[in-house]
Amino acid sequence: MNRNGNLLENLAWQGISRRSFLKYCATLASLMALPPTAGRAMAEALARAPRPSVIWLPFQECTGCTESITRSHSPSIEGLIFDAISLDYQETLMAAAGHQAEEVLHKTVAENEGRFVLIIDGSVATGLDGAYSCIAGRSNLDLLREVGPKAAAIVAVGSCAAYGGIPKAHPNPTGAVAVSDIIKDKPIVNIPGCPPIPVVMTGVLAHYLTFGSLPELDRLGRPRAFYGETIHDRCYRRPFYDQGKFAKTFDDEGARQGWCLFELGCKGPVTYNACAHVKWNDGSSFPIQSGHGCIGCSEPDFWDAGGFYKALSMPADPLKLVAGAAVAGAAVGVAVSIANRARKGAAKAAHETATLADLEK
Amino acid sequence: MALDDIPIKAEHAAGGLTGNAQALLGEIAALLQRLLATGQGGAIDLASLPFSPADREWLAQRLGRGEVEIRLMAGGLSTFNETACPGVWWVSHHNEAGVRVSELIEVARIPELALAHPDDVKMGLERLNNLLNDLN
Repeated sequence: MNRNGNLLENLAWQGISRRSFLKYCATLASLMALPPTAGRAMAEALARAPRPSVIWLPFQECTGCTESITRSHSPSIEGLIFDAISLDYQETLMAAAGHQAEEVLHKTVAENEGRFVLIIDGSVATGLDGAYSCIAGRSNLDLLREVGPKAAAIVAVGSCAAYGGIPKAHPNPTGAVAVSDIIKDKPIVNIPGCPPIPVVMTGVLAHYLTFGSLPELDRLGRPRAFYGETIHDRCYRRPFYDQGKFAKTFDDEGARQGWCLFELGCKGPVTYNACAHVKWNDGSSFPIQSGHGCIGCSEPDFWDAGGFYKALSMPADPLKLVAGAAVAGAAVGVAVSIANRARKGAAKAAHETATLADLEK
Repeated sequence: MALDDIPIKAEHAAGGLTGNAQALLGEIAALLQRLLATGQGGAIDLASLPFSPADREWLAQRLGRGEVEIRLMAGGLSTFNETACPGVWWVSHHNEAGVRVSELIEVARIPELALAHPDDVKMGLERLNNLLNDLN
């Protein structure tokens, strides 16, 4: 593709019309909670935008974030954003490998110092000097300390890069931390989620290209456009919460009627994300629409935040759950007691305390 | 095991009315008034509201169908259906895989995307001139 031509001309070459582009921008603007007229303005700015270099480094991660983003929408339309950037290094997607790939990385960093956008997915292992996660014989920690300070901005994709995520879950054997725990003097945008919603990532890139700046962030470094409201605030089942209509089990009358899943442990009220209106799998559904509560995967330490099926109104502090655990054990019967005993035995061996929260995960 | 043996009964969507669709009618009326007064319409993004499938059905039924239907083939199908209230359009954008990516109510005399952009008109003119040159 001709890197010098403007985006619309390049798209026209690929058979993508102005209206396709405007349609994409209109959808993006609505998802970013911008006024309906912003679509046209975005399209104009995007078409003129310079093509920044982007480096994507995978750290301690499962590649779920890359899967989420590369499988989003129809490739050609979502790919518009990738036409607007120059993705110079992405291990999963790039054809180069080994020394060749490493050469590209260092060349891109050197040529674009202070100008490239650094995308990171995965947490940073700090245990044993970062030896738990290495690329080309170098630890992620080492690489981040070298490349991070040379970037214009850093985008931490996924709960792991944003908060430490599942690698950081108790007892955190690798000493996993968030990107923001290592790099302190660069603008960092957190796009949490396990995985994050694809369009949120392209939306942040579109914002950077359109306005030449990073979007407005909240106290946890998340773009307000997507993380400004809770799942609960935008949930289509919210009116049932307001009316006091709750499903009590996953197969009762209330569940069939599509009532609120709060009492079944939905974390929607404390989870800031765009799932309720942007949705998943090309906008077809999201967990609550499929009948399961939100597990709060885009919040810090969601894995250790108490059981997924415990209502938020129940105390989340594991220490206070001991009494509750005894009652539940008695009510459910022998099977749970045996499971508890087995868990207790294992916990004893590992010098850990088993709690109800552990059992429910 | 036959499908009927599974003890799940499907509920009709009408059970899930939240009352939010009714509130939306007032908002659409306000946009229409603005369109008449200033020529400036607006759009309401249906996907971003607490809106159950039953609400959507209710709203679609109440707004009804008008005389004009516009189909746009650009990065997938988009449909602009005039409702029984002229000036109010039910807009659905689909991607190339046929999946609906956004749905909105647009209040305008003609939906913005249906209008030809002056730059595109220029390109069309160039194309026609080339055709004419080739013929001469």
